[in-house]
Amino acid sequence: MNKLKSGVSAVGRFFGDFGHAVADGDIFVKLSLVWFGAGYLGRKQYIKAIIMTALEALIIAYTVLVGIPYISDFGTLGTVQQESVFNPVTMQNEFNDYDNSFMILLFSVITLVVWAFTIYIWMYNVKNVYRLQKDQEHGKHVNNFREDLNDYINQKFYIVLLALPIAGVVIFTVVPLIIMIFVAFTNYDQNHMPPSALFDWVGLDNFINLFGGGGMTVSFGYAFIRVLGWTLVWSFFATLTTYFGGILMALLVNGKTTMWKPMWRVLFMITIAVPQFVSLLLVRNFFADNGIMNTILQNIGLTGFLQDIGLISSNYIPFLTAPGWAHVMIIIINIWIGVPYQMLIANGVLMNIPSEQLESAAIDGANSWQTFWNITMPYVFSVTGPALVTDFVKNINNFNVIYLLTSNFYTTTNQAMANSQAKETDLLVTWLFTLTQDYYNYKMAATIGIVIFVICAVFTLVAFNRVVARTGEGDFA
Amino acid sequence: MSKIKKLLALVMALAMVLSLAACGGSDSSSDTSTDDTTTTEDSTADTEEAADTEEAEDATEETSGDATASGDVISLTVWGAEEDQTLLAELVEGFKEAYADYATFDIQIGVESESTAKDTILTDIEAAADVFAFADDQLADLVNAGALQSFDALNDALVAYTGKSVEDIEAANGAGSVAAATMNDTLYAFPMGGGNNYFLYYDSSVLSEEDVASWDSLLAAAEAAGKQVGMTLSSGWYNASFFIGAGFTTSLNDDGTTSIDWNGTSSLGYTGVDVVKSMLNIASNSAFMAIADGDISNQIASGSLCAAVSGTWDAEAAQAAFGDGYAATKLPTFTCAGDQVQQGCYSGFKLIGVNAYSQNAGSEYLTNEESQTARFEARQLAPTNTNAAANEAVSANIAIAASSAQDVYGVVQSVGGKFWDPTATFGEMIAQQTLDVNDDDAIQAALDELVVGVTAAVD
Repeated sequence: MNKLKSGVSAVGRFFGDFGHAVADGDIFVKLSLVWFGAGYLGRKQYIKAIIMTALEALIIAYTVLVGIPYISDFGTLGTVQQESVFNPVTMQNEFNDYDNSFMILLFSVITLVVWAFTIYIWMYNVKNVYRLQKDQEHGKHVNNFREDLNDYINQKFYIVLLALPIAGVVIFTVVPLIIMIFVAFTNYDQNHMPPSALFDWVGLDNFINLFGGGGMTVSFGYAFIRVLGWTLVWSFFATLTTYFGGILMALLVNGKTTMWKPMWRVLFMITIAVPQFVSLLLVRNFFADNGIMNTILQNIGLTGFLQDIGLISSNYIPFLTAPGWAHVMIIIINIWIGVPYQMLIANGVLMNIPSEQLESAAIDGANSWQTFWNITMPYVFSVTGPALVTDFVKNINNFNVIYLLTSNFYTTTNQAMANSQAKETDLLVTWLFTLTQDYYNYKMAATIGIVIFVICAVFTLVAFNRVVARTGEGDFA
Repeated sequence: MSKIKKLLALVMALAMVLSLAACGGSDSSSDTSTDDTTTTEDSTADTEEAADTEEAEDATEETSGDATASGDVISLTVWGAEEDQTLLAELVEGFKEAYADYATFDIQIGVESESTAKDTILTDIEAAADVFAFADDQLADLVNAGALQSFDALNDALVAYTGKSVEDIEAANGAGSVAAATMNDTLYAFPMGGGNNYFLYYDSSVLSEEDVASWDSLLAAAEAAGKQVGMTLSSGWYNASFFIGAGFTTSLNDDGTTSIDWNGTSSLGYTGVDVVKSMLNIASNSAFMAIADGDISNQIASGSLCAAVSGTWDAEAAQAAFGDGYAATKLPTFTCAGDQVQQGCYSGFKLIGVNAYSQNAGSEYLTNEESQTARFEARQLAPTNTNAAANEAVSANIAIAASSAQDVYGVVQSVGGKFWDPTATFGEMIAQQTLDVNDDDAIQAALDELVVGVTAAVD
């Protein structure tokens, strides 16, 4: 909570300083409110004045030429439906001056980001020139342009370093993210596909549909609950099994009596070295209904035995093609894929356990289970606890394993799920992929995306606070 | 924004090409062309509209000797399947030569499988290829998204440039393939190849011609030989064959939704429950192997099958597996409510379409007679062009003969996107025997649920 408070007060201070600067500033500071360069001109910083003026001109030009035309359509997302007439003379379709809803959305968001950036620059600029005014009044040295630049490679070097990553994050992550969030409130789908058709705002309809409010197929809400349930079950087991599996494997490999330790390590690393999609597709074919595994089991009579005791009705074991079977198999295959990574991490941690603790435990007569549970585990957990939380979130979005093992392979026999293009083995993220890729249902995909984000964010916040508080990671900082 | 610029550039380039070609260097033409280069998109369009259509006709008349036009470059992108790349390159060279008088072409060939063309194109229509190949089941989605150029609207231009009208093309191709390329009474694509249906491959050293006439005798003979008969049930494309045979229909509505009557009574008097019971009886036979969608080639190669339902694309696999016994025929009949009913099929076609946002229409060349013959030789695709189909080499091919024999019982696949998941699930339920063959009510309920899913609104 303290962090939150300090964050709020920092924002408050920013606005407070701005008000202060406007109230107490001289004519140049006040002029800076409409002309970015004025303040610097007043302090004879001509190059800065030119740069700021040019920036302001650029922003105004963008706003007038691009921003305003697009953002004025933002409320309706366009009204002119595309129409085309084929012109036999030019051999091409001639289009009317139609609106493209997606372009309107895209440029509106970009414009909003530009405007937000402008407001920040505007306030920061005023504060800055007020500071210059103060410096001058107190007779302090006012930097010239070269000295300012020098500052940026010395005291303010962090700004230079961070500028590029932050710009990248804003352009490639934040802007698309905002657009996808907006899409969740539109009817952007197969029937409303720009540029041929317009899409429109629909408010919260998509969320109501997702939570079973009707409208679309009746089964959408049902499918959502089922998919969400499996997503959480999967994440829980996938995280836990690979975590403990990795630690146990590391203990075994590092055990005092284990011979050829490097060889074992290399062997387990091979599953990492082979690209995941290759090994997963191989394993998928391996466990197919008519695959090698089933052929072997048929030949040794296990399939017949399972049929006799009524566990399966087919003449093969539906490893990856029946619910239940597939769920368990996916988790088991994921252990095989995921354990080596955890083993690598655990390996490093185990090597760092202070040996005197283990020795004194041995002297006190602790058996190996007690040593593991009371010394090794707490130590490993204190280091890898936060990683466990991120692993869980990663598994919620573990697209690879689920998609490669089941897509075009697992056919659901649950008609209600099929009617919503879902299957029992789908995670929210793979369902989202099917909806966008095969059915162009961008609006529902965006809606599901937001739900995934909320789930992950809430879980991460809660879990991190607990784990970090317990393991006292903050103390290291 | 750059896209609009590109569009503008292409519009200008084309306007220049046309005005130069049209007037062969007369004074008025050079005026028009300079105007075009300096005006904006709108006024370019105005100029073109104002121009007499006779100019286009002039253009064709003067093609023989007008060298001035070849200085201009038209950029086109063509998408075809991976297997077609070499062939496509040859065809494109031929196209360049045939139309060299109009302009110099800068033609890029890209790889895009016919089966996935729709996905890539609909991601960004404006950036998609100008000419592309696709499977006919994608037609409805592409038309609804406004991605396909109507050829009826192009008719005049087509006559002017190639001397062929839309009717000529329709007459030159089989009625089925034209129907598959038509939607709302408008031709939207050129048929490129057919034979995209399925039939029965069998090993004639194990099964006789009488055996393969019906599922009952087929399965009995297979069991006697200790082999299996494979078919994909978990795909609407395959399992619809039973319903089609019994007289059930699907149809595609203008809004992209699908109409389906499988839960009722067909025109031949069978009920959907009858058909499902027949399918359950076949699937429960120990000599029947339900194969996952896309896995048929592997299963044929594995050698445990003596017969399999598949299409021409598996001809080589079947030939390799069955050796001298390699044979193919139409699908068998199945027992439905006591009668022997011939199993139907969906007949699919590969089509070539023109992007509605494109600047040129050159796809006719890719589908004319010589091209189809070349395509057949390269890829064993059954041609739709009736002249090409009469060719001896084509009819000698066992698989294509079987495909044609089955085509008689085929219907054009007119279904929307919501057809596939529910029908795949329904087929899987039959394959896994989750329905009880004696429980009519449960079967009816499952059929009703299927119809709900298939007829759902497109969203």
